[in-house]
Amino acid sequence: MPLLEVSDLRRSFGGVAAVDGASFTVEGGALTGLIGPNGAGKSTVVGLIAGSVRATGGRIAFRGQPITNRSEMERSRLGITRTYQLSSEFARLTVMDNLLVGPKHQPGEVLVGAMMGRHHWGRIEDANIVKARSLLSRFGMADAENAYAGELSGGQKRLVEIMRALMSDPQLLLLDEPMAGVNPVRILEIESVLTALRREGVTMLLVEHELDTVERLCDAVIVMARGRVVATGGMADLRSRGEVVDAYLVG
Amino acid sequence: MNLAMQFYLTTLLVFLGVNVLACWGLNLQFGVAGVINFAFVVFQAIGAYTTAVLSMGPDTAYGGFQHYILGNKLPFPLPLLIGTAVGALLGLLLGMIGLRRLRSDYEAMVMLVVSVIATKFVTSDTGLLNGPAGLALIPHPLASTLGLAPIDYAWFYVGLVAVSCALCYVVVHRITNSPYGRMLRAMRENERAAVALGKNVAAMRLAVFAVGGGIAALSGGLLAGFIGAWSPGGWLYVETFTLFTAIIVGGMGSNLGAVVGALLVPVVFLEGTRFLPTIGSSEVMAGLQWIVIGLLAMAFLWFWPRGIVPERRSAYAPGELPSQGSHPALPLERHSS
Repeated sequence: MPLLEVSDLRRSFGGVAAVDGASFTVEGGALTGLIGPNGAGKSTVVGLIAGSVRATGGRIAFRGQPITNRSEMERSRLGITRTYQLSSEFARLTVMDNLLVGPKHQPGEVLVGAMMGRHHWGRIEDANIVKARSLLSRFGMADAENAYAGELSGGQKRLVEIMRALMSDPQLLLLDEPMAGVNPVRILEIESVLTALRREGVTMLLVEHELDTVERLCDAVIVMARGRVVATGGMADLRSRGEVVDAYLVG
Repeated sequence: MNLAMQFYLTTLLVFLGVNVLACWGLNLQFGVAGVINFAFVVFQAIGAYTTAVLSMGPDTAYGGFQHYILGNKLPFPLPLLIGTAVGALLGLLLGMIGLRRLRSDYEAMVMLVVSVIATKFVTSDTGLLNGPAGLALIPHPLASTLGLAPIDYAWFYVGLVAVSCALCYVVVHRITNSPYGRMLRAMRENERAAVALGKNVAAMRLAVFAVGGGIAALSGGLLAGFIGAWSPGGWLYVETFTLFTAIIVGGMGSNLGAVVGALLVPVVFLEGTRFLPTIGSSEVMAGLQWIVIGLLAMAFLWFWPRGIVPERRSAYAPGELPSQGSHPALPLERHSS
């Protein structure tokens, strides 16, 4: 059973169909690319899966369960976590605090639990801090632990966002153009991070329009154009079949 | 210290304590959680009115010179506690407005309108809370039981306010310095991203409305019990802006900043200007005060947006750093399929 199953998904904004009957699946443990020209509906699909955008038709199933009518918060709690095309760091929180907002089920995030004091939530907090530090050191950002996230470079903000999402132990990580607006050196860093995550079995759906990047990273690729899925398969395969080129041309 | 000076000092201290409480409540809502509650002073007012009517007894006792509802003579500290609870309940109720996913600037406007309507409502109906004249002869809590000389009672009241401050400090400190406080700040910084991480922002908004509202109501109850009177003129919407200015000057998001702001703006500033020579009529002076308060807020937002005591940058004790070379696997749940 695929981890995520999207069938005939639709969303229109004021009569304009941004997503017009898209169907695809995302296999667990794989890094799936979602590509297509501007306006193909990629970001809307991410919003529809994450729940920030409501579908006007079709259905989405996660681990076999329909989630089309679940709220964004509920979907996040089921393990669907996203990053944004525009940086969405918590600017006046430190990098460490940004990461610590990630984990779910924190006893100190319940009002009564917080009032009970540190002895009630400290143990889990400490475990989360250790986990955050190990992520920071892996992502080469250990020195930035106490920096305000708003003061980081664009690429570092992206990494913070990815790490924050990872802190929540996502079952499905939706990455909406994580390399957009990031300098080339950082892009390679983010690529190596994604490669590592893929090796470790994290399921990801990556929206990207750099085809070379997608070819290097992704196991499977979904090609969208004008709100529909026009092709799926391996990147090399798709290139030879010409659908990708066509999609970019018609887009 | 002579007696007059002692009275003046105790009055200032009670006034300071009450404003510190209010600033903590507002700081929790605005400074920490980013919720703009322009009806804040209404919570202070409902605390004051509730505490008053529940300690004054039925209005028939006053020979018809003031009329109010729910008159009762409950023993201390029940009126104060019920007043606090009513403030928290009102917080839940008004907080619901924010649940409609209004943009925060629209929500702020709605709250301002609520504040103006509340004043109009209480002012126009004399049977409700004695209209524009307000309530007088509100009993001083425990005054008859203690039987102290007036100045000793004033010092007792300073103690009562101090104890209230200490209790509230524990509450706000524990909230703001916990993962819950961090989550509130995350909501302030980027609500959309907080939702995407599974945080229940609706519940958080309600919680800060209720807790902040309860603290505001407590401060109002304490103030009414001290002055012995409470009228609509004391809780005009502009009072909310004095408190906002206090938070901005002291440092948004900082509990210590709220204390500094409460000391500087409502106490030193508003109180201090009383000693200035009057220019024109007293009305001109009162008007000038509001203008200067507004300018003060603007100046700080412009030149010193973090305030005198900025929100503390959190730091976590250095623990064991993962040793280089032996990268632990990413701490993730693996997908099992």
